[in-house]
Amino acid sequence: MNSQILDDCSLICYDFKPCTDYFDQVIGHIEDIVMEKEFQSLQKSFMDKYCDVFEDTDENKLIYMEIFQDYTQIIEDYIEKQLNERMGSFDMDKFAEDLRLKRPNLDGEIFDLLLSLFDFVMFKEMILDFKAEKEGKFNDVQLGIIVTKLTEFDGSFMK
Amino acid sequence: MGFLTVLKKMKQKEKEMRILILGLDNAGKTTILKRFNGEPIDTISPTLGFNIKTLEHRGYTLNMWDVGGQKSLRSYWRNYFECTDGLIWVVDSADRMRMEACREELGVLLEEERLAGATLLVLANKQDLPGALTSQEIKDILELDKITTHHWSVIGVSAVTGDKLLNAVDWLISDIAKRIFTLD
Ligand SMILES: Nc1nc2c(ncn2[C@@H]2O[C@H](COP(=O)(O)OP(=O)(O)OP(=O)(O)O)[C@@H](O)[C@H]2O)c(=O)[nH]1
Ligand SMILES: [Mg+2]
Repeated sequence: MNSQILDDCSLICYDFKPCTDYFDQVIGHIEDIVMEKEFQSLQKSFMDKYCDVFEDTDENKLIYMEIFQDYTQIIEDYIEKQLNERMGSFDMDKFAEDLRLKRPNLDGEIFDLLLSLFDFVMFKEMILDFKAEKEGKFNDVQLGIIVTKLTEFDGSFMK
Repeated sequence: MGFLTVLKKMKQKEKEMRILILGLDNAGKTTILKRFNGEPIDTISPTLGFNIKTLEHRGYTLNMWDVGGQKSLRSYWRNYFECTDGLIWVVDSADRMRMEACREELGVLLEEERLAGATLLVLANKQDLPGALTSQEIKDILELDKITTHHWSVIGVSAVTGDKLLNAVDWLISDIAKRIFTLD
């Protein structure tokens, strides 16, 4: 009985090998795509454009959702376009079906990464982090200027 | 089909549900959400945007979305329909003057294609108020018996006392679970 199942299983796995290969290929490409500078600058310029709208409050403004939907669309289009370029043509249905079958063995990192691209709460956190960092840098720059001026002023005063 | 749809399928395996809470302004949506989340409910002001809370309940992760119900905001509701597993329609049972508007707005939602797969839970809220209509009366006024497109239930609750709220959510979860997690 057990060996019967095993046999069937290995047979199926063997038959569908090209299929799982396809899945791994797609995931591999997605990993590459999101690690690349081009993708990250796409993300950054989007956040840069909209981060001033976002505030760290519990209640969200309606506009956040519209911005988020824009973001999702842009990211989705970009990834699909890249996949099409890299793979000749990318078959979403096939990928989805593979994902359905493979999900239990899918490792956490890539799953988290994919989810984070399309999850509103994670998106809001990301854009608020970006904003905080941007404002932090801005303050550092201001601070730098003040310090420099003080030093100059002190210097001339001493002469 | 895009990545979103694919991701939605992945999430189903994770026992995650998306619940959208709608209803006319002042119905008690935000009060109900905060009540579920164990937050104080005495300082809630009308919602101009939307709230999201993620709750763990009976082994499920519930992503609950509460959008402001003022008339000028209702045209934005559509942005929140996608991937909804359960729709909670909150009714101020003491607001007899606006039952007609309440029925009409619900009717619009039920025709919405993107909500076609969602279970409908009508909460006849504010049962603690003396003039409140019963859940039976709400059912008749909203003509719920005519609904054939969605699984639905109507339950009389009070967000202030917490009465029946948990029963109501339990029903919603088990109905959704029956529909989507037993397919594989
Ligand atoms: N007596 C009573 N009052 C309630 C109950 N639920 C909510 N309220 C009150 O009704 C008012 C409106 O509640 P909200 O939760 O802000 O209503 P909402 O549906 O979120 O309204 P919008 O955000 O404008 O769409 C508040 O003053 C609540 O305290 C209830 O069960 N009983
Ligand atoms: Mg509210």
